Amino acid sequence: MKDLISYIAKSLVDKPEEVVVTEIEGEQTSVIELKVAKEDLGKVIGKQGRTARAMRTILGAASTKLKKRSVLEIIE
Amino acid sequence: MQTFEFEGRTTEEAIEQASRELNIPAEELEIDILEPGSAGIFGLVGGKKAKIKVTTEAQITPHEETETIEANHAESEPVETDSPDETELAFAKEVLENILSRIPVETTVHSQRVNGNIALNIRGDKSGLLIGRKGKTLDALQYIVNKIANKASEKKVRVVVDSEDYRKRQEESLVEMARDMGEKAKKTQKPVATDLLNPHERRIVHLALKPDEALNTKSKGDGLLKKVLIIPKK
Repeated sequence: MKDLISYIAKSLVDKPEEVVVTEIEGEQTSVIELKVAKEDLGKVIGKQGRTARAMRTILGAASTKLKKRSVLEIIE
Repeated sequence: MQTFEFEGRTTEEAIEQASRELNIPAEELEIDILEPGSAGIFGLVGGKKAKIKVTTEAQITPHEETETIEANHAESEPVETDSPDETELAFAKEVLENILSRIPVETTVHSQRVNGNIALNIRGDKSGLLIGRKGKTLDALQYIVNKIANKASEKKVRVVVDSEDYRKRQEESLVEMARDMGEKAKKTQKPVATDLLNPHERRIVHLALKPDEALNTKSKGDGLLKKVLIIPKK
């Protein structure tokens, strides 16, 4: 799941080397934290949060597959 | 000599816009009014835009307002895209495969060029996981793949992602719904509104009813999702 977000984020930004994804696993819910270069923040959020929403939807599908719950947090 | 067409809520507005965009005072323009426009009922439904034709002798370099014009056209006409080449086709396919393998799902992706777009079809998702409720997941995948493909490419490419013919089936049922609503509008002589639709869905509705001479269609609302009003012509 971490890998999924990492791949998408790295493909979207200008500075893929600055993409950091960490997964904090809870009992039922995992929190995926995504950190990107300051200039790239807009690229992973998108117009009216559309890109972030799309990433969350895809993450949701992946979680369903693994019968888990996960949330994506974009860290500033 | 060149001719241009402009639209506005009133003819005055259309003329003003023409003069502004062409950078020529209104007095020097030769204007033909194509459609005078009308305010409709309470200025809400059934309003028609005024349309004018402008002819001028001068050499014109129109103002850079193409973006608004394109935005208006985007709904009724296909977006102008250059035909994608092999590299772009392969790249888009690879991006989608990379995402899918990380979900992970065991699917295959078929790629082909359709009307200057890249069509990617996912085969093997029997559960509908990749489609999601109302195609939400499919739309998300399509949006992300478009973003990534267009970042890599100089020209604009459009990628359509489908799974198990979901979009095709969806399109068929939308066309059917649009026709049913059109019949209702004609029978009752009252405008009928659809649910909130995204731009692609609205385009399907507009195109489905375009051949029907007795009906007008118009989008109504703000934001990405709008309703389509199906209006019987008086």
